[in-house]
Amino acid sequence: MARVLMEDVSLTFRVRQNQVITLKEFLVGQMFRRSVNPFMEVKALKEVSFEVTKGERIGILGHNGAGKSTLLKMLAGIYRPTSGKRTVDGKISSLFDIHLGFEPEANGWENIAYRSYLQGETPTTLKDKVQAIAEFTELGDFLNMPVRYYSAGMLVRLAFSIATAIDPEVLLVDEVLAAGDLSFQQKALKRMREMMNRAQLVIMVSHDLNSIRELCTRAIWMERGTVKQVGPVADVIRAYHDSVKAPVKAA
Amino acid sequence: MVDYIRQMWTCRWFWYSLVRMDLRSRYRGSVLGMGWSLLNPIAMTVIFCTVFATLLNQDIRFYAPYVMAGLAVWNFLLHSTLDGCQCFLRAESYIRQYPAPMAIYPLRNTLSHGFHFCLAMGLVMVLSLALRGWPGVLPLLSVLAAMPMFLVSGWAVSAVFGLANIHFRDTRHLCEIGFQVLFYLTPIMYPVSLLAERGLGWLVSLNPVVPYLELIRQPMLESRVADPTVWMAVFLSTTLLALTAGLALRSREPKVILYL
Repeated sequence: MARVLMEDVSLTFRVRQNQVITLKEFLVGQMFRRSVNPFMEVKALKEVSFEVTKGERIGILGHNGAGKSTLLKMLAGIYRPTSGKRTVDGKISSLFDIHLGFEPEANGWENIAYRSYLQGETPTTLKDKVQAIAEFTELGDFLNMPVRYYSAGMLVRLAFSIATAIDPEVLLVDEVLAAGDLSFQQKALKRMREMMNRAQLVIMVSHDLNSIRELCTRAIWMERGTVKQVGPVADVIRAYHDSVKAPVKAA
Repeated sequence: MVDYIRQMWTCRWFWYSLVRMDLRSRYRGSVLGMGWSLLNPIAMTVIFCTVFATLLNQDIRFYAPYVMAGLAVWNFLLHSTLDGCQCFLRAESYIRQYPAPMAIYPLRNTLSHGFHFCLAMGLVMVLSLALRGWPGVLPLLSVLAAMPMFLVSGWAVSAVFGLANIHFRDTRHLCEIGFQVLFYLTPIMYPVSLLAERGLGWLVSLNPVVPYLELIRQPMLESRVADPTVWMAVFLSTTLLALTAGLALRSREPKVILYL
């Protein structure tokens, strides 16, 4: 039974200006109490609360840096909350940073295997799917080449095909729809819709408000780490739209 | 903890395929293939035998397998640590995407080096058979029985230093220097008795690497199962390392992503 419940979840990063420090720097800094590399606190999420039940499709929208991707990563379990409680029931499948996690020296077929295993497939389940994945990429013989020779678009095609060959319960999607060339984008949208229909619960982040309007039932508007509005997708999109347009109208 | 291990088992195909890929990519396009990993211990053994056997007045039939066994264990521990420093950094793109239990990354590292260790041990066995004869079934079985402890120790050291390196990026350099110094303090190229004869036996008793070496060398060279004290020392050392690694992972694992 898929469910997501966020109760007053906050996430604060403590970031140094120069994140890479050496032991020497640390010891010397402690000894002389001088901080040339001080901490900055970044409150990425502030007391975020919402609930998503089975059958819902939620779109998350907001400005750059509002905390949308951070929220999604927290839902996936990659970040732990600094305070508050995060509850996610159901098998989580996530599609974010899909251009990461390739082994450059390995060829397309091998990467299909690695990425699928990362998603929880076994060699037996993969055997049935690998041809279908390969066909969806339309990469043909290029799959025999090491992926470090691929173009960015080819990588995205490969990543998207692998990532969408799963049966998700809780599906988390971060900006993967703007992938590849025009023909692939049509295919991708269709594939996303199929996957979202198979999933019990979908949460997606996108800047493409039309996709959110088409694919989602409810929307969450994030601003500066807080939830500004939650509600039916049309209302939230209108409110977000108005807030963005308002300064222009005034002028 | 049972849950954690179950999660590791769930993604077993993933880390297993990473190990295979590590081994494959290391030898991709090379002429000798796996032979390269054996070249280092073979070359070092030849050099040590040529230079030090006469210098230290050692019988080659003892000294050659002695050095090679020592180097096999040493290389395993050394590379488990040094590559272990990088294990989380190498896995950054996976950590960012998928909340797998992070113990799989030092595990991947250790299994790759464990494979080379097994190859090197095979070579030691061949040399030992040729120069010293059949050591006996029980000693050979005892070497096999020691392998899990080696792997757990390797994993623990990779995990601890991998976590340390995330926080202090010069950990690897410090490890390199540390191991350089330790190499000369460890009886690999000279026999164990040499230091005791000169009143420096305490260096041997305090050195944590020596029991690991003796656990392999005593069966292979003296055709007997290693002393119970040696087994105890390795067991205690492995347990301590595993506990440290477990505790370190439990407290630092959620924070790793913040420091990558």
